[in-house]
Amino acid sequence: MPPPRTREGRGHREHPRAPCEEAPERWDWNHPDTRRLMEDAFFRDEDYIRQGSEECQKFWAFFERLQRFQSLKTARKEEEKDPEPCKHSIPALADLPRTYDPRYRINLSILGPDPWGSRELGRRLPPERVSEFRRALLHYLDFGQKQAFGRLAKLQRERVALPIAQYRKRILRTLREHQVVVVAGDTGCGKSTQVPQYVLAAGFSHVACTQPRRIACISLAKRVGFESLSQYGSQVGYQIRFESTRSAATKIVFLTVGLLLRQIQREPSLPQYQVLIVDEVHERHLHNDFLLGVLQRLLPRRPDLKVILMSATINITLFSSYFGGAPVVQVPGRLFPITVVYQPLEAEPTTARPEKLDPQPFLRVLEAIDKKYPPEERGDLLVFLSGVAEISAVLEAAQTYASHTQRWVVLPLHSTLAVADQDKVFDVAPPGVRKCILSTNIAETSVTIDGIRFVVDSASLSDSLLIFPRHQSFSVWAGCTCGQPAPSDSNTCESRNSAEALLPGLMKSMDVGDPRTFPFIEPPPAASLETAILYLRDQGALDSTESLTPIGSLLAQLPVDVVIGKMLILGSVFHLTEPVLTIAAALSVQSPFTRSAQSNPECAAARRPLESDQGDPFTLFNIFNSWVQVKSERSSDSRKWCRRRGIEEQRLYEMANLRRQFKDLLEDHGLLAGAQAPRPGDSHGRLRERRERQALLQLKRQHEEGGARRRKVLRLREEQEGGSSDEDAASGGRAAGHGVDIQDVKFKLRHNLEQLQAAATSAQDLTRDQMALLELVLGRGLYPQLAVPDPFNSGRKDSDQIFHTQTKQGTVLHPTCVFASSPEVLHAQKPENGPGPGSRGDKDKGSSRHQLLVFVSLLETNKPYLVNCVRIPALQSLLLFSRSLDTSGDCSRLVADGWLELQLADAESAVRLLAAALQLRAHWESILDRQLAHCTKRRLEEEEEEALTVSHKEVAALSRDLLQFMVPKIPYSLRRLTGLEVQNLYVGPQTIMATPSLPGVFGSSTLSPHPTKGGFIVTDFLTYNCLTSDTDLYSDCLRTFWTCPHCGLHMPLTPLERIAHENTCPDAPRDSLAGAEEAAPEPVQKASALQRPYRCETCQKDFVFTPTEVLRHRKQHV
Amino acid sequence: MASETEGMPQGVFQCQLCAVSAPYSYVGQKPPNTRSVVLLEECYILKDPFTADRGRFLVLGSRCSICGRLVCVGPDCSLFYSKRFCLPCVRENMNAFPQEIRQDVEKRKALAKTPCGEPGSRT
Ligand SMILES: [Zn+2]
Ligand SMILES: [Zn+2]
Repeated sequence: MPPPRTREGRGHREHPRAPCEEAPERWDWNHPDTRRLMEDAFFRDEDYIRQGSEECQKFWAFFERLQRFQSLKTARKEEEKDPEPCKHSIPALADLPRTYDPRYRINLSILGPDPWGSRELGRRLPPERVSEFRRALLHYLDFGQKQAFGRLAKLQRERVALPIAQYRKRILRTLREHQVVVVAGDTGCGKSTQVPQYVLAAGFSHVACTQPRRIACISLAKRVGFESLSQYGSQVGYQIRFESTRSAATKIVFLTVGLLLRQIQREPSLPQYQVLIVDEVHERHLHNDFLLGVLQRLLPRRPDLKVILMSATINITLFSSYFGGAPVVQVPGRLFPITVVYQPLEAEPTTARPEKLDPQPFLRVLEAIDKKYPPEERGDLLVFLSGVAEISAVLEAAQTYASHTQRWVVLPLHSTLAVADQDKVFDVAPPGVRKCILSTNIAETSVTIDGIRFVVDSASLSDSLLIFPRHQSFSVWAGCTCGQPAPSDSNTCESRNSAEALLPGLMKSMDVGDPRTFPFIEPPPAASLETAILYLRDQGALDSTESLTPIGSLLAQLPVDVVIGKMLILGSVFHLTEPVLTIAAALSVQSPFTRSAQSNPECAAARRPLESDQGDPFTLFNIFNSWVQVKSERSSDSRKWCRRRGIEEQRLYEMANLRRQFKDLLEDHGLLAGAQAPRPGDSHGRLRERRERQALLQLKRQHEEGGARRRKVLRLREEQEGGSSDEDAASGGRAAGHGVDIQDVKFKLRHNLEQLQAAATSAQDLTRDQMALLELVLGRGLYPQLAVPDPFNSGRKDSDQIFHTQTKQGTVLHPTCVFASSPEVLHAQKPENGPGPGSRGDKDKGSSRHQLLVFVSLLETNKPYLVNCVRIPALQSLLLFSRSLDTSGDCSRLVADGWLELQLADAESAVRLLAAALQLRAHWESILDRQLAHCTKRRLEEEEEEALTVSHKEVAALSRDLLQFMVPKIPYSLRRLTGLEVQNLYVGPQTIMATPSLPGVFGSSTLSPHPTKGGFIVTDFLTYNCLTSDTDLYSDCLRTFWTCPHCGLHMPLTPLERIAHENTCPDAPRDSLAGAEEAAPEPVQKASALQRPYRCETCQKDFVFTPTEVLRHRKQHV
Repeated sequence: MASETEGMPQGVFQCQLCAVSAPYSYVGQKPPNTRSVVLLEECYILKDPFTADRGRFLVLGSRCSICGRLVCVGPDCSLFYSKRFCLPCVRENMNAFPQEIRQDVEKRKALAKTPCGEPGSRT
């Protein structure tokens, strides 16, 4: 078929003269004016085909072919009459047309416009031309009908050919007779796509089908919608976090296990469903297992609820017996052959693991296929590889091979790929050429790619290449919850999904008791549960007794990543919702930087003004805001703007969507007062807005009619434009053909650009204080995902900067990280103005400006990379955030979370700082608790009054105190403890020890000894004087005479005693820090408040000692 | 909302010859959502599932005007020649049809015996 040429080109080249009315005999179908005349008459807006649509172009191509065909035919064949048919006895046959005409074979008729009704048209359109056109149009419509019906029939044939099709009746019958049915069948038997349809066709209408992965929800909903022929209807929907295609008409919804659990959390009896299909139950992760446990309890209470468990053909009896011997319908595997190619793998070199994966075995597979199967036997190859690095290794070699043989198109598939490039795997290869898709296992069981015939699973390359449903091992996500995704995992975002990490929290909130004793189908590995619980404790969602904290119970309801949830909640407290929304959204999508952006210096230069040396989230924040500004000024420029900066615009659209969903979420949970949309006040403005909206909707409709994303034929030499995913043609919406950026249209339809712009503008006006608070919010949100710079970094090259986390040494910055190009901002500068206040000139005590990095994720590919980092002041952040703080006797030495040591130059300042931190934390916590309690209450009672329990004044005071606290004052040294030091960190439990009383320093609570560390528990995070250290023994001797400036007391005191006195001195004025709770002021007895009676068992004497005096005394006996 | 219900299936169409089945949303000669096309027989119609355009429809089948069987429009089951005829009825009354139709039916028979098309290869 000839390629459709453009109308303009043809008209210009062949027929420069205008046609029609003056010279009807020179009627020219090819002239654009002629065509326009016809289109004006037949392809109006309300007609079956619309002018300017793709359909219209297709029609003219068809028209040309038809004309050629007919001219051939008429030339060959003379008018020939059929023999007179005898009058038939069957009435239906009696009045058949006598003369054959192809038009009688078409069951359609076109009610075209009546050109004779309008004189103007009638004059310009000769009737014979109109009927010629009408006839062609009829044939075209008929052709379209035949084609579409052919597709439908093919679809049905394929469905019927699936192995599971023969079991349809049995499955449905068993389901009617039993409450639970296990359907077991291996990949390819069609259970995931067919069983939901069987259930629907059997008349059930409230069906939920859970999937372990989000991407599977989307692809299955699309596939099932398509197969059940209601793709654009609304009976089949999906629901994943933040995204739902569910409507009132939805009969079946595909959703993630986590989301279903949340629905159960809200309505434990799950009244909204009639049938529940739990797919991939054999993938034993906590979520599925927990769901099964919950269902087992629920079923007796919901006898009308039907459950179908779908599993691979392993462990079937386990599931069956867990549900009281539920019947099993077992389906054999695929009927059509999946070819197994066996390629022995050469023994791996015994030296350290090779830098790069050896692509040779994969090339041999390509070769073997080429040798064994003729090119006309179609069928593509799918190769599963463990990560992106592996994919690029094989890609390179396979592309070389492909360009040599001209028989392959090699396509990578992983989640960090541009969307447009991901979509290429659905395109078709030209005849004689096969697709070779190199995929991480995101594609496994979740993306349906047609036409795959060969499957290579690199994990099993050593023994067999048979596709096999592998177990999603639990340890993968357990590792991820620590902010450390599995090695080279492309599912980073997904595995860090809060829903999984939060499971123990969810279980707590659902009142199922201790997760450790929950009747799981099989007890999960204890370590994994413990890891998850520990993670939640680290994140502050569970307290030390493993009860949900207020923030934890809110987090258990928010379907977001724990870290993101924390940020959103904290941000709302400080009235920083708008900026935090943007940052949270930016951190929840994949990096917007394209691969070429990393290497192209022009992109880097163009991006530089947007970079923030505070950290990557702020850079993303700037990028998003600037992009919104560009959009609101001239939205057509935004794509170019992005490309110039090496930014994938698609990600920014995703951010905008996510940002809005986060906002809705906050509103739903009472954390954000209803939107104050700046509506255009006057009717004129509203009218304009409505018109704009209608125009956009029109554009969107036109685009959709053009077939949003159609399968294309791949070019053989794909690699020629390799990596150029940011070229115009491939980028973003792929709508260049229509000159409409459909993404832009959708964006404008979905978002209120004015509101976004207002937020972006206000972002530029954030005060320094607000920025500092934002950093605090991020810091606390991301804590404890932090890394400490290596002390020797300042002497290293930019690219060699290394950082240590608590569990991982020697991590490096991701190349896109802002600190990778300017690491000097992380180096602790020397105090600018000589020794700072309070410094005793001790050089070793270092700087007051040490910094830590908090990061969003740790990505392990060939190196462990820190991704999305923010720098925060070390001492202050650790004092405010750490779960565990241990002090020496004079508090000048602190150990945070058992791995970071802070040595402060000046003990007195140390105690002051510690005391201030305690008060700040208490105050912050109390505000947070009241705010959250208020939210829950407001939501429950649906009351609208704004009776805030937390006053703006109180928040302002806290903000002020926090900011003041963050100002670096005291020089100190910062160090990661060695393994040996960590082991010998604590003095351990002391049999005899006097309880110190430090009124005022650590609040008014009485202190009890710490059972394992030694020392005394001050708060749930602070343990006083539990560190082993020599220096501590002497620091307490340093009593110097001191006069209280308030009451005039004059005594020799240690710094700690001094502070203790000052804080409780009746004559001292109250400062702002002593705001939150008024500690009942105990009158100072005397300066030796630390002293307690002590009886030494060794020398059998009684003393009055301070704790350090006790230690010193005991040392004498050793 | 009206448009929502218009697309809702009214029932399931099933061909009595080849058993192909699909939900239909309309029966008649005037497909909904389009004013410019009418049908020359009472058809079972589905909104075209292969396009987003609401106005596009897909004819599934209709009744044979001789035997009254419900048949699909597939070339192996029926043909249209000013009316719908199922292939068994056409074969029975071959001589009532013009030569073009007769040739066409013979051709279909031959084609049905040697099925071609790409081999099924999908996961
Ligand atoms: Zn049929
Ligand atoms: Zn018949």
